[in-house]
Amino acid sequence: MVIEELDALRGTFANCKTLAFADLSTQMILVTDTNADLPREALDGLCAEAALMLGAGDKVALGETSSEAALVASKDALRLFVRAQDEPNDVLCCICTPELDVETFLIDARDRLNRMSRGN
Amino acid sequence: MNDLAALSQKIAALAATDVVFEQGARVISIGGEPGPLAAILGVIDDTILERELEFDADGRIFRVVAAGRRLRGISAVSDPQAETVVGETLSREEPAVLDAAKAVLTRACDAANRLSVRSLPPAPFGKGGERGVSAMGLAELWEVDVDTTPQPPFARFAKIARGAATAMIHLEEGEVLEQKGDVAPLQTMLETQVSAFLARQDKLRRVTEGPQFICLDSAMADGSSTTLALSDDSLVLLSHGADAIPALHRAWKALLG
Repeated sequence: MVIEELDALRGTFANCKTLAFADLSTQMILVTDTNADLPREALDGLCAEAALMLGAGDKVALGETSSEAALVASKDALRLFVRAQDEPNDVLCCICTPELDVETFLIDARDRLNRMSRGN
Repeated sequence: MNDLAALSQKIAALAATDVVFEQGARVISIGGEPGPLAAILGVIDDTILERELEFDADGRIFRVVAAGRRLRGISAVSDPQAETVVGETLSREEPAVLDAAKAVLTRACDAANRLSVRSLPPAPFGKGGERGVSAMGLAELWEVDVDTTPQPPFARFAKIARGAATAMIHLEEGEVLEQKGDVAPLQTMLETQVSAFLARQDKLRRVTEGPQFICLDSAMADGSSTTLALSDDSLVLLSHGADAIPALHRAWKALLG
């Protein structure tokens, strides 16, 4: 189910290159979906960045409360982090190219993440 | 302004890469920045060949005909008070029509949160010899401040961000350049969080990524979102509605070219 959702999301958005379903409470990547040859350290770093951006537990690094989604953009890279609605430790980490249609992607990513998190 | 200075400014504007497009329309004003009427006159001032310009002010559509950096007239607008203006060629010899045109355009767009423009092929309008009034002439007559000075890319991003922001702090080389709204929460973030946050992020990424745009949805106590944008010695920190995230990201992409 999770793999199918990740596959479908990446299939819908060609500018999305890597997806990782992670648990912020343990800061572990549970499932990845990518064609890229990403080393384990890179995925661990992605998960740690999700915790930094979204806030894990009571820890908020920037802002006043934990975030529902985060977008980190530089000239050559775009990373998005999305938190599940019902289970705040379930997050989706996304590595994309800067050309991604952020608005449409976030809507689809949220829907799929919520389904994955609920297990339906 | 002499012709040479005007020409160099136009070339600089055309060379700028920070143009924001939404569904094929060029966004020229967000959150009242720049003022919608000034933005319209700016577009007309950039229009050399005859074109019908279709403006969309929060879904309200109106059209004008422009050529030779002049506004020939208003060709279409949904406004019952515009009957005396629509289809009429503007002229300095008809001050009442000029005043009415200003009133029509102001009603059409003055409260717009988002104003965009499409350039369409010219439609038949008025008589061939009637040239209309220059955009800069109208700016003077209508007392509209049209800023034609090219700005650095980050300053242009900051201007768009300002339009989207409920509160904003803009720093250049550590000094506050401008503020908007209730900046107390942002000031606290700057003083207590930003340095440590960026240090942690640098440690995680292990590579310098250059200019950065970091947007956190619903990170403020009132449910609003916050964005931190950094480039060299420039920093913008703002709070804004979640609906502004795509536009801010588009503006950021445009800045980077």
